[in-house]
Amino acid sequence: MRFFDPHIHVTSRTTDDLEAMAKAGIRGVIEPAFWLGQPRTQLGSFVDYFSSLVGWERFRCSQFGIAHSCAIGLNSKEANNEGLAREVLELLPHFALKEGVVAVGEIGFDEITKAEERAYIAQLIFAVEHDMVVMVHSPHRDKKNGIRLSLKIAQECKLPMSRLVIDHNNEETVQDVLDAGAWAAFTIYPHTKMGSERMVEIVKKYGPERIIVDSSADWGISDPLSVPKTAKLMLERGIAKEWVEKTTWQNAIDVYAQSGQLDLDVLEGEGAIDQSGFYGDSSVLRGQTPRVDEKVPN
Amino acid sequence: MNSIPDLLASALRESIPAEGWRWLEKARAELGNGAGLERFCGLVSLSSRYIPRRGGPVWSAAQRAQAGRLLAGWDPERWTSLECGRALLVLALKELEAPRGASMVEEAFRYADMGELCALYKTLALLPEPKRFVWRAGEGCRSSMKSVFEAVACDNPLPVRHFDDVAWRQMLIKALFVEAPLSRVFGLETRLDAEIARMALDLADERRSAGRPVNPDSWRLVAKHGGARGIASLERESASGTPAGKAAASEVLARSR
Repeated sequence: MRFFDPHIHVTSRTTDDLEAMAKAGIRGVIEPAFWLGQPRTQLGSFVDYFSSLVGWERFRCSQFGIAHSCAIGLNSKEANNEGLAREVLELLPHFALKEGVVAVGEIGFDEITKAEERAYIAQLIFAVEHDMVVMVHSPHRDKKNGIRLSLKIAQECKLPMSRLVIDHNNEETVQDVLDAGAWAAFTIYPHTKMGSERMVEIVKKYGPERIIVDSSADWGISDPLSVPKTAKLMLERGIAKEWVEKTTWQNAIDVYAQSGQLDLDVLEGEGAIDQSGFYGDSSVLRGQTPRVDEKVPN
Repeated sequence: MNSIPDLLASALRESIPAEGWRWLEKARAELGNGAGLERFCGLVSLSSRYIPRRGGPVWSAAQRAQAGRLLAGWDPERWTSLECGRALLVLALKELEAPRGASMVEEAFRYADMGELCALYKTLALLPEPKRFVWRAGEGCRSSMKSVFEAVACDNPLPVRHFDDVAWRQMLIKALFVEAPLSRVFGLETRLDAEIARMALDLADERRSAGRPVNPDSWRLVAKHGGARGIASLERESASGTPAGKAAASEVLARSR
């Protein structure tokens, strides 16, 4: 089977991961902008980070036959440094309108502060002005309340719910998101948030419509193979293949393709690896023979 | 020992090698004479080469009581010698109460490593007008490093006194997430309300829906303000929680009856 992981922080993953992902059938990914585990203190750090999302990381993935697209935004945690946050918001148009940027994200709430709300609203307005899709990160703490507030504010900003993905859902929040008409994404983490077993139960209960599975693999304990592993478990537990395809491939493509920035030809076509390329003067190779025209295994 | 620096110094002097103490005295004098930002940051870093990072002063009951008298809620018992030394460096800054002092402290955070972050966050409450550093303390709570989070949340009087309601509640719920002990949050009992109880109950529901255990510390936040929903959740926990959860919930229930 082929898979699409619509939320993974590739910048934190090694080439071993990329190789394993391609081997497991992951054909495309979305890398939303987030924080790096500790706060950045100056604008230049954001410039270089956003630039790597539309540059080096895209190239790195391509070397393993994975189509990389990204989302650009100011995350909620760093929105609390208000001076810097204002500068980053001014910077957004330089990157958010680039080719291959499929959404504004991941944005939303962390501590549910007024500063976070201001940054969220500013970015929603930007998204609406530019007909963009929005990827919302939901908070760990006070999650249910945070998701309801995220939905309400997005509606007030006139973002069509068909263009809104709320991520990191769980059993307690999914109904609110589906009722609002938005897309409900689930992050499958090995130990926290959602596990594959719980995801199976959710798909059984809610069906496949507007439900999306992702890994959110990052610099913490996480699994870049969460999507294929969850698909396998769904099939083993008797969930229909069409449902598995919807939740691990088609739904994410449908919502983010609204941006016009997903290269559907590449995703639908036969993936091929060509490692003979360079980015600037850099290659991902360290003296190995480039793999050229090798078919992506899936 | 009528001042915080005097108390810290008297406890630290007993517990570190003489060479380290001499270095620290010289450094403090330098800062008191107006040494600049780069030298200050340099001394904060250099201190790790002179003062042990493992172990800390042994505080007598009288000294701990004196610490509490000098600043209610301050408990240095778990501070390492190096943290005490770094606190003394910060406290030695000239014009600490003026904007210059505040900006030097802020700059030190900017270049800090993990050990320095812990020491600096623990020191904030000891400074003149700690309210000036309330945003910075909030940054500490946003940290993914548990040791840094605990430097703000535990044994520290700053949050209960100066955090706004949003920051205070977030800190308590985060403590449940990262399993920082609520028993070490100073002033906890004095600042609980129905909203924090609601957040703790929502979290307990999420954990149960996920088939995961509820942190037994959660019930401290539910005790007085959880209402009927709180009682129901407590009864459920005392009947079917983990052993630690049962014990904690039963204790809260017994006290509320």
